Amino acid sequence: MARRYDSRTTIFSPEGRLYQIEYAMEAISHAGTVLGVLAKDGVVLAAEKKVTGKLLDLSSAKDGGYGGSGEKIYLLNSNVIGGVAGLTADANSLINFARTAAQRHLLTYNEDIPVELLAQRLCDMKQGYTQFGGLRPFGVSLLYAGYDPHYHFQLYHSDPSGNYSGWKATCIGANNGTAQSLLKQEYKDDIEVKDAIGLVLRTMSKTMDSTTLGSEKLEFAVLTLDEVTKQPKAKIYKPAEINALLLAEGLMKKDEDTEMKAA
Amino acid sequence: METSFAITGKGYVIVAADTTSARSIVKMKIDEDKIKTLSPHLLMAYSGEPGDTIQFAEYVERNIRLYQIRNLYPLRPSAAASWIRRALAESLRSRKPYSVNLLLGGYDTASHDPHLYWIDYLGTMTAVPFAAHGYGSYFALSLLDRYHNPEATLEEGLATLKRCIDEVAKRLVVSPGKYKVKVVDQDGIREVEL
Amino acid sequence: MSRSYDRALTVFSPDGHLFQVEYALEAVRKGTCAVGVRGKDVVVLGVEKKSVLQLQDPRTVRKVVMLDDHVCLAFAGLTADGRVLIDKARIECQSHRLTVEDPVTVEYITRHIAGIQQRYTQSGGVRPFGISTLIVGFDPHDTKPRLYQTEPSGIYSAWKANAIGRSSKTVREFLEKNHKDDLSREESIKLTVKSLLEVVQTGAKNIEISVMESYGKVTNLALSEIEAIVSEIEREKEAEAERKRSRLAATAAGQAAMSQRAAERQGSGE
Repeated sequence: MARRYDSRTTIFSPEGRLYQIEYAMEAISHAGTVLGVLAKDGVVLAAEKKVTGKLLDLSSAKDGGYGGSGEKIYLLNSNVIGGVAGLTADANSLINFARTAAQRHLLTYNEDIPVELLAQRLCDMKQGYTQFGGLRPFGVSLLYAGYDPHYHFQLYHSDPSGNYSGWKATCIGANNGTAQSLLKQEYKDDIEVKDAIGLVLRTMSKTMDSTTLGSEKLEFAVLTLDEVTKQPKAKIYKPAEINALLLAEGLMKKDEDTEMKAA
Repeated sequence: METSFAITGKGYVIVAADTTSARSIVKMKIDEDKIKTLSPHLLMAYSGEPGDTIQFAEYVERNIRLYQIRNLYPLRPSAAASWIRRALAESLRSRKPYSVNLLLGGYDTASHDPHLYWIDYLGTMTAVPFAAHGYGSYFALSLLDRYHNPEATLEEGLATLKRCIDEVAKRLVVSPGKYKVKVVDQDGIREVEL
Repeated sequence: MSRSYDRALTVFSPDGHLFQVEYALEAVRKGTCAVGVRGKDVVVLGVEKKSVLQLQDPRTVRKVVMLDDHVCLAFAGLTADGRVLIDKARIECQSHRLTVEDPVTVEYITRHIAGIQQRYTQSGGVRPFGISTLIVGFDPHDTKPRLYQTEPSGIYSAWKANAIGRSSKTVREFLEKNHKDDLSREESIKLTVKSLLEVVQTGAKNIEISVMESYGKVTNLALSEIEAIVSEIEREKEAEAERKRSRLAATAAGQAAMSQRAAERQGSGE
């Protein structure tokens, strides 16, 4: 216990910088890309999966669950989906925290947690990890795509320092600069979900390093309002659905080697 | 004896509470305001153990205000009601429970409709079209069953309230003298004279 | 646990410095600039606002926040630290109302915030808050505007006008030169904008102004209003420069005439 405080991870450098945070952000800039676009009638999230392999068993993948295929996109609450970039283990613990926070809000107020409040809850915790001794910051950035009656559809981004901000379209992880500038060119203020889906997939296919683009590399989710109940409805796409979507958009990229072999 | 009423109508909630502060059989004060404004569109009428009522009402007031300052928008009526109910339910299971009965009337600016909640000291909560606490409720509820109309204008709603107050004045042995009446609608909260 | 204090992150160096506190001040100096100006019966907060990126939602970028109905705060430094400290202050404002029935005085909440900041320079295993704050407001039942500053060290002080954040030294010197007692509302706003223009090159779109005129009466100036003030200041500067130029030209002309006359005199003398 005596050595509990001797780690000097979160202290100011002489220039007033917190290097640990900057390093954590550096780690994230190598992580799989996560991209979000806010539309008039929904929010779209897509993420690049890093853990792939022919023998990876995805058969037990559940909607927005841990393990299986759920590596990047999770259901945080019935009205919020989250996309994570960074250390997967850190992300798991943050997602657990987010889900608990959302349920605690539901218990106290009997309403879904407002999206910004959920982002704030997580950021307060992330900030704590940059200020109290012996802890390293979380190596995770998140995108939150959600709906609440106060500000309707929203998209937020939070980083390891505990900062967050709202966006119309943004991107975290590897190649986020390229994706950002692509989004800047193509984003229109009154975009609808069906166009946003195309925009997200096109941007992803242009920015991802890999030569192939298919469900083994991609996670995808859309949050809209249910037409009947007018309640937020999150849909995290299953691998087959992602492939169908890519085919429909004409973006399916096959490995050239396999294609040659097939020919 | 303490009596409070609340009635919803088309786009509004009327909340009324007597203004008597009594100790045993003695009236100590006849101009007590027992309806607190919790946020721009939320009213709470409280009755019960004197002392407990103020203490609890102020506690609620400050917490609801804190939520508004932190988030830049106030709690919606349903969320506020759930929070208050929970506060009472937790208090009930503590060493010294609050003995407070509440009527919570609010206008939801997100969904544009009036909400009314009946909450008692046991932590019971129900959303209702009209409500009453105290001895007055024995006379008023049947009247409201007969005369309440969710589509009524404010004038009609106030007339219905007047019926309740008159009935209580006529039949209840220990009827309160005066009432304070407040209305909440999309424009906010205001006091009205009957 | 008894030894946790000796593992505090902020400890004296052999020559008596608290390095972590000094470094935290560096973080503040990297933050965006904020200016507070107290007038006769008004107090103005002005902040430099970083350009909102094209796809960013401006609603979520907040530099000036309300602590209660009558107290306003601006900060410079680490945004996340700011948010956490502000939250603590907001709780205290309501808690104070609940316990003593009165709203906080501006000095009280300043002292409270500074107290929290001080604790984080002394307790075990924490780094100081990387923010300075400007706190403005009116005390209940009082008409005197207040302006306070707090620092990462936990120092707090009252000011007539002050600046924190990037280039705050330049701005403070500017304020020292130009601040007068009993400024009117318009003069206070103008001085705030003028001093911010010392560091903000991009003009009105990167400036945010909040004005508090009496207990609980706060207005945020619209972009167009700030633009109007900025262009007025620019016109004045232009006029000033013009006057200087013409004066310079006049002196130059005078000198030329004099030297010519001298030359003529010399010529005639010969």
